[in-house]
Amino acid sequence: MQLNENQSMIRQMARDFATAKVAPIAHAIDRDGTFPEATVREMGELGFLGLVVPEEYGGVGADITSYALVVEELSRACGSHGLTVAAHNSLGCWPIATFGTEEQKRKYLPPAAAGTSLLSFGLTEAGAGSDAGGTRTTAVRDGDFWVLNGSKMWITNSHYAGALIITAKTDPAATGSRGISAFIVETGTPGFTVEKKEDKLGMRASDTAPLTLVDVRVPHANLLGKEGEGFKYFMKTLDGGRISIAALALGLAEGAFAVARDYTKQREQFGKPIAEFQAVQFMLADMATQIAAARLLTYEACRLKDAGQDYAHMSAMAKLHTSETAMFVTDRAIQCLGGYGYTTEYPVERMYRDAKLCTIGEGTSEIQRLVIGRHALGL
Amino acid sequence: MKIAVCVKQVPDSETRINLAAPAAKLDQTGFTRVLNPYDAYAVEEAVRIKEARGGEITAITVGPETVRETLKKDCLAVGCDKAIIINDPLLAGADDAAIADVLCAALKKDNYDLILFGIKAIDDDSGQVGILVAEKLGLPHVSTITKLELGEGTLTAHREIEGGKEIVDCPLPAVLTCQKGLNEPRLPSLPNIMKAGMKPMQIVTCADLGVTPPAALVEIRQYSPPPARGTCRLVTGDDAAAAARELARVLNEEAKVI
Repeated sequence: MQLNENQSMIRQMARDFATAKVAPIAHAIDRDGTFPEATVREMGELGFLGLVVPEEYGGVGADITSYALVVEELSRACGSHGLTVAAHNSLGCWPIATFGTEEQKRKYLPPAAAGTSLLSFGLTEAGAGSDAGGTRTTAVRDGDFWVLNGSKMWITNSHYAGALIITAKTDPAATGSRGISAFIVETGTPGFTVEKKEDKLGMRASDTAPLTLVDVRVPHANLLGKEGEGFKYFMKTLDGGRISIAALALGLAEGAFAVARDYTKQREQFGKPIAEFQAVQFMLADMATQIAAARLLTYEACRLKDAGQDYAHMSAMAKLHTSETAMFVTDRAIQCLGGYGYTTEYPVERMYRDAKLCTIGEGTSEIQRLVIGRHALGL
Repeated sequence: MKIAVCVKQVPDSETRINLAAPAAKLDQTGFTRVLNPYDAYAVEEAVRIKEARGGEITAITVGPETVRETLKKDCLAVGCDKAIIINDPLLAGADDAAIADVLCAALKKDNYDLILFGIKAIDDDSGQVGILVAEKLGLPHVSTITKLELGEGTLTAHREIEGGKEIVDCPLPAVLTCQKGLNEPRLPSLPNIMKAGMKPMQIVTCADLGVTPPAALVEIRQYSPPPARGTCRLVTGDDAAAAARELARVLNEEAKVI
């Protein structure tokens, strides 16, 4: 994969930032489950939170390849940082930049790009997610307003968000995925509550919480795109979001591989470094091969999206393969380190827990297979 | 205020050097190249001066065209206004004196109030070029600075000396070499990286500068790998005092170092 000069500089800068600022705190914020407010602020100043926002709205206007490179580099050091940036850019900024009105873009994108106000995406409910037909949150028109009622689950960045995109049923008579609309809801709106942060297996420094909406009045001007078209918008949003989850998983796998490689070269047993044993070399070889394939899939999806071509199937393949690769590689990395790998003294157990999210969030591996299967069959 | 920052691209400090046996040349394929970390202090200091009092910063380097990326990311995107790359096959194998000569030729093309260098480059650790340039230009120089205050036509610099610091006043123009501790270099922001390509970057030859680099006075004849590390020996004893006695005996009788 050949990077152009801008992409190469952006990757190097993201790597420098991850090494200097993120890696040193990754262990502590995972242990304590603390959202890294200081580094998120810095990432805003450096432009990481405006990667997919066009320049005219205060963003970087980077291509998707550059965006994926940043998420990958951050995630080599810390999955939670990668997830915070990925969810904000792909699920918060991108749909507003793509489907929003001029007024919505002017209002919400500049503070989002500067990182003074994170954006988030509220789709999933107790009975709905990839199955949008189960959406129970409703929005009822009342003059110039919509009144929203319902609840959402697993919403990333919500305690730190200034606004969220919320999906709600606007046509109670419509069935399945029809009759759903998307709204930009400001978090300070009366009746809108971000509930207690979830206690999670991994991605512990990423902010995940349920939302409750009781008679939340949202101006009609905050309807995103056309009424009733919400399903189409979030399908497109997830197609792009999957690339960033692939980049996240890729970074985790690479981070774990680097630890395993360095450790096995230095750890001696039976009189020589364990990397000289074929059993260990074969593990490393399988890890490296899976990572190489994952990288090619991820950046092929980026290339298609940057070229304006159909990328939905490729982003699903990239997300499926890369997140499963991250599970495989982080598991093997722990195995290479043996007992040390199982302790929090080394980062591979954290990477293993973080990687698990990638097989679930933004559509499980099984949902990716449905997307890929439908494409393969021409359905 | 016109500031020149002379920088060098060097292999990343984490680069693994493949050198099995002594050789006249290093195999540099696969090296990741970065801005010399000490030069980053010089760039940052120049940008802070510009932010405080205005001015223009020119980054100057000697090297192949592949230094473009480093100059763009670590100089132009951070706040330098333009860059000059001196790229000439005549400079293959050039020593510090020759590099200083061509830098002087480039620096004489303009009137700089301040010329900043890193204290040394981490690849050859030579640390001579900045001071050679000052001597050849007949300018005062202060080396190893860790703090800088500018007055009207003067400067006050703090420099590290053994066991303390020295505070030096000096008239402008002057040449300074920058040490760790002077500042904390910033990272370039992504928008500035994207815009760095719009800033002028000039590639010049020795002929363009009207200089003929002198023949090298110094020749690198051989690189040798460091000796293999000896095996580690654990000194034990019934208690700490016994272990210490045994350690002292080993150091005296076997290692013969005390």
